[in-house]
Amino acid sequence: MPAADVLNLLIAALLLAGLYAAMSVGMTIIYGVMKIVNLAHAGFMMLGAYFVLELHERLGMDPLIGVLFAFPVFFLGGMLVYWLLVRWIPMSDQPTLASLLLMFGLWLVLQNIGYLVWGNSDRAILTARTFRTVHLGPILIPYIRLVVFAAAASSLAVLELALRKTWFGMSVRALMQNQQAGRIVGIHVERTARRTFGLGTAFAGAAGGLLAMLYSFSPDFGRPFLLRSFVIIVLGGLESFSGVAVGALILALVETLSILVLPAGYQPAIAFGLLVLALVVLPGGVATLFQKRQRLA
Amino acid sequence: MMENAKSAQLMQRAAAFGLGLLTILALLPSGCGNRAKPGTAEIRIGVILPMTGREAKPGQYQKEGIELAMQQINQKGGVFVRELDKKLPLREVFYDDGSDQARSAGLVERAMTSDNVVAVLGGYSTALGEAESVMPDRYQTPWITTGAAASTIFSRGYQWAFGTLSPTDLLGYTTAQFLGTLVDGGKLRKGLRVALALENTDHGVDYGNGIRKWIEEHPGYFQVVFSEKFDLGSPDFSGLLQKVKNVRADIFLADAHLQDYITMHRQYTQMGMYHQMLSYGARGPERDARKAMGDATNYIFAGIWWSKDLPYPQAKRFVEDYKTFTGREPDSWYPATAYDATRALGAAIEKAGSLNRTAIRDALRSTDLKDSLLPGQVLRFGKNGQVNTPFVIVQNKPDGKTDIIYPQDAATGQAIAPKPK
Repeated sequence: MPAADVLNLLIAALLLAGLYAAMSVGMTIIYGVMKIVNLAHAGFMMLGAYFVLELHERLGMDPLIGVLFAFPVFFLGGMLVYWLLVRWIPMSDQPTLASLLLMFGLWLVLQNIGYLVWGNSDRAILTARTFRTVHLGPILIPYIRLVVFAAAASSLAVLELALRKTWFGMSVRALMQNQQAGRIVGIHVERTARRTFGLGTAFAGAAGGLLAMLYSFSPDFGRPFLLRSFVIIVLGGLESFSGVAVGALILALVETLSILVLPAGYQPAIAFGLLVLALVVLPGGVATLFQKRQRLA
Repeated sequence: MMENAKSAQLMQRAAAFGLGLLTILALLPSGCGNRAKPGTAEIRIGVILPMTGREAKPGQYQKEGIELAMQQINQKGGVFVRELDKKLPLREVFYDDGSDQARSAGLVERAMTSDNVVAVLGGYSTALGEAESVMPDRYQTPWITTGAAASTIFSRGYQWAFGTLSPTDLLGYTTAQFLGTLVDGGKLRKGLRVALALENTDHGVDYGNGIRKWIEEHPGYFQVVFSEKFDLGSPDFSGLLQKVKNVRADIFLADAHLQDYITMHRQYTQMGMYHQMLSYGARGPERDARKAMGDATNYIFAGIWWSKDLPYPQAKRFVEDYKTFTGREPDSWYPATAYDATRALGAAIEKAGSLNRTAIRDALRSTDLKDSLLPGQVLRFGKNGQVNTPFVIVQNKPDGKTDIIYPQDAATGQAIAPKPK
């Protein structure tokens, strides 16, 4: 294969990784603080896609601006869901069956709300930039993928900054490390959990808006992305934000490049093979690899 | 002691007898396929289609086709049942299978065993139809799939399965045949390189086999230089498309469901790809796809089971009726095959003159629907239960227009080939 084609694929993988990271970080943050595997994440992504579509179709708003609007709206929506449903689940330092069932049920409810409101048509957002491409010599990059990558990377950078520089961010990181210790040093666990759920939901909604610029969607939207999010956060070590970025990059690279040597039909098997491998060999995620190396050094 | 043992033995026998009786009673409704009650005031037809999940859209269209046919039959008083000497209305017993194979099979089983239906319609898509297809023979109830075309369903010797979609290998064969006519007509040159991307289902396999069969029968026309399967509902096709790009083929033929067609073709266009001819199998002119991709769908051609532009009076009448019924024109073949399946079933019941399932099955085997909407205008089930009507090839044209371009006698426009860049 010519070098330009390999480079094209590598760029495609990198752009895909940005998107994968943006859609997984919401799940990671919720899992980290509350130990809840948010199966409703796919439902919020679907709602995010329709939210951006509605703003685009009704108000003529640029989908990127729509994604910006999605952040506060889904943040508030997430906090409302927390207040209505999630807070009744007893806090635990392990994922519980009750939380799994609740979030699965919520996903089904959101999906059916989607069917009631928007029907079952496949929808898509078509703008002037949808089919534009950027040519860099022999390398060709779909403009919309570049835009989506930039939006995803910026939102992750802002999140990283917020987690490091704000009181709320430090509370989140503390609770991810040790909930009991966090409580002892005066962190308001309930309030932090509520905001964290809002933040995770905001990222799901925004990721849905970004995905809507690339793919067609229906109320069933999000299922394949949810499964990929699982792979990414397991690869990333479940509670690590930098791990999410690494996990997303690994998955995107393996998925994209493995197609060169394997038939495309094996793509899902590759993702889940990676999940099994990570669970068996690296249950703590790729971060443990670096920790082991540091210890050895 | 002896008496105790005897009474215990008696008790055991009584229990075994009771258990056996209960088993027989429990099995009776499901085991006896021909027990549709003739005394009822209606003819119950099971309809199992996806209203939710990934196949919801075609499922909705097919349901509309069935309901329109039922409404029209019922407006005429229903179906005449000779045995009862009266007309009975058709009544739909509907279940949404959620695009889930296991659920689909379970619901067909439920309809056949618990709902006192005389036949079941449904089974869109191939994957769901495959799951359902094991039930008709088990419960000896006629089943007509309105949306599954894979030849595997009809090659297992089932006696109670029927289908109103022509086999998918014929779709592939007709697609290659059409491309061959473009070569003969001087629009394409001989020896063009073909790349195939096929969904990882029997549908995809059959489509590919049909294309290869025609190419083998007509050496020198085309050569297949790439053939690979892809997973249904994949969120990303960039790797597969990159491989297709690398083989530098002249013609790209994919077999995809609607959602995959939209995703794949968006990426195809974003990657700046071009082929002289481009098809996504039976997908192409759907309204959702054209809305989602605009001008990027122009000149894509598709092999379809039915087109609203077919120049038959009954097809034109159906388009009008469907528009009145749903408020919009049919934008695909989905409602037509379901509509004709329902009419064929009605005709078979009338011919059988009975609500006996075996009699209906036998009547279906010899049904000859002469004003069929399908290409060729006659719906007749083959020995394997599947119809074998020809396909029509349509091509998207600018401004949302779609023309039938093959066969010539039904054409509403000329094929544009090669596709403009």
